[in-house]
Amino acid sequence: MMTKQVRYEALVRALHGDLYRYAYWLTHDKQVAEDLVQETFLRAWRALDSLKDEKAAKSWLITILRRENARRFERKRFEMSDYEEATIIDTSSVTTEQEIENQWLRNKITQLPPEYSEPLILQVLGGFSGEDIATILDLNKNTVMTRLFRARNQLKEALEAEPVKRGMYNG
Amino acid sequence: MDDLQFRRAIYADPNNQDAEVTLAQQKDASKKQFAQEMNQLDEKIKQALQVPVPDHLCDKLILRQTLANHQVQKRKTRVYLALAASVAIVAALLVNFMQFSSAYNNLGDYALAHVYHEQDKFTNNDSNTVTLASLNQKMTAFDGNFSESLGKLLFADYCRFGGLKSLHLVYQGKTSPVTIFVVPKNEQLAFTTAFNDQQLFGSSIEFTNSNIIVVADKNESLAQWQQHINKTVSWSI
Repeated sequence: MMTKQVRYEALVRALHGDLYRYAYWLTHDKQVAEDLVQETFLRAWRALDSLKDEKAAKSWLITILRRENARRFERKRFEMSDYEEATIIDTSSVTTEQEIENQWLRNKITQLPPEYSEPLILQVLGGFSGEDIATILDLNKNTVMTRLFRARNQLKEALEAEPVKRGMYNG
Repeated sequence: MDDLQFRRAIYADPNNQDAEVTLAQQKDASKKQFAQEMNQLDEKIKQALQVPVPDHLCDKLILRQTLANHQVQKRKTRVYLALAASVAIVAALLVNFMQFSSAYNNLGDYALAHVYHEQDKFTNNDSNTVTLASLNQKMTAFDGNFSESLGKLLFADYCRFGGLKSLHLVYQGKTSPVTIFVVPKNEQLAFTTAFNDQQLFGSSIEFTNSNIIVVADKNESLAQWQQHINKTVSWSI
């Protein structure tokens, strides 16, 4: 019993950050993301014995989290309102140039269609390879690569299109 | 690798380390620059994605689990306690049953077993004798009295007969000792008038509060012993 607890705590310490960030980008809501992570770890605890390969823990947890997120929509249909309001983390009070740029980019990432942003987040944040992402999202690898291409392409175009606006933040 | 292919590959994965992609970068400086730009963008994306994680989240997750686990363990402890209690009760009942119920369910079987058990203790030629007076003293426990001796009494003492205090008498017989039990009446042991096996036979006489059982080898006349007992024993109320 104790070893299971130790394993669980190690898992939580190592991966709760990544998982929370992933949940945040999936839901664009701090509270919902936190609830999702809690629910995910609760399920992970119950099924901890089935996790044989510790290396696979991250993708295992992400799979659980995605399933939980899908369940959330089965239970309750949220009105898909736009994200502009209070849903994006407000860091503009921290007025470093870097933070403002991050904030701008966050908005852009949020505006990406979920099917583009999700592989991007898995790749950049999770450090997963194209094959891994394909497995997690249950897509084939070519589709994943195309979506990654489109995601970055859109971000780059947005970045190039709005240099002036970004300058306004600086002023 | 043409330019479009290269761009697609870099867009899809700026850290692409494929041999083809690396080679293309080495050959063409503009491609290398493009890859570097995309890497920078990726770095920015990475920074942007690093949203702050709530400080308490880790502790919250562990605490929640510990509490849930504690509940489960408490429930388990209760189950184990109940199991242990059940086992203890069953064990107690079993001991009770073994100790206070006899393995025999009628007087005859028990009497025979008792005689065989103590067979080695007595021989027909024992020099010890018990007087009528001391026998009658012991008989007072059963409110009984013998008016005269039935024969040469070798041994007389209380013993346990199916968990009951009873009187065990051993008389000198024709070839082997004759055993007489004075047993208080007991519902657990069924009354059997006559019983026997290969060596021994016996009979019981029923009185108001007690039974007298005679067990002897087959050379003895049980009827004679019974008659004798009937004649000499008397019961006070």
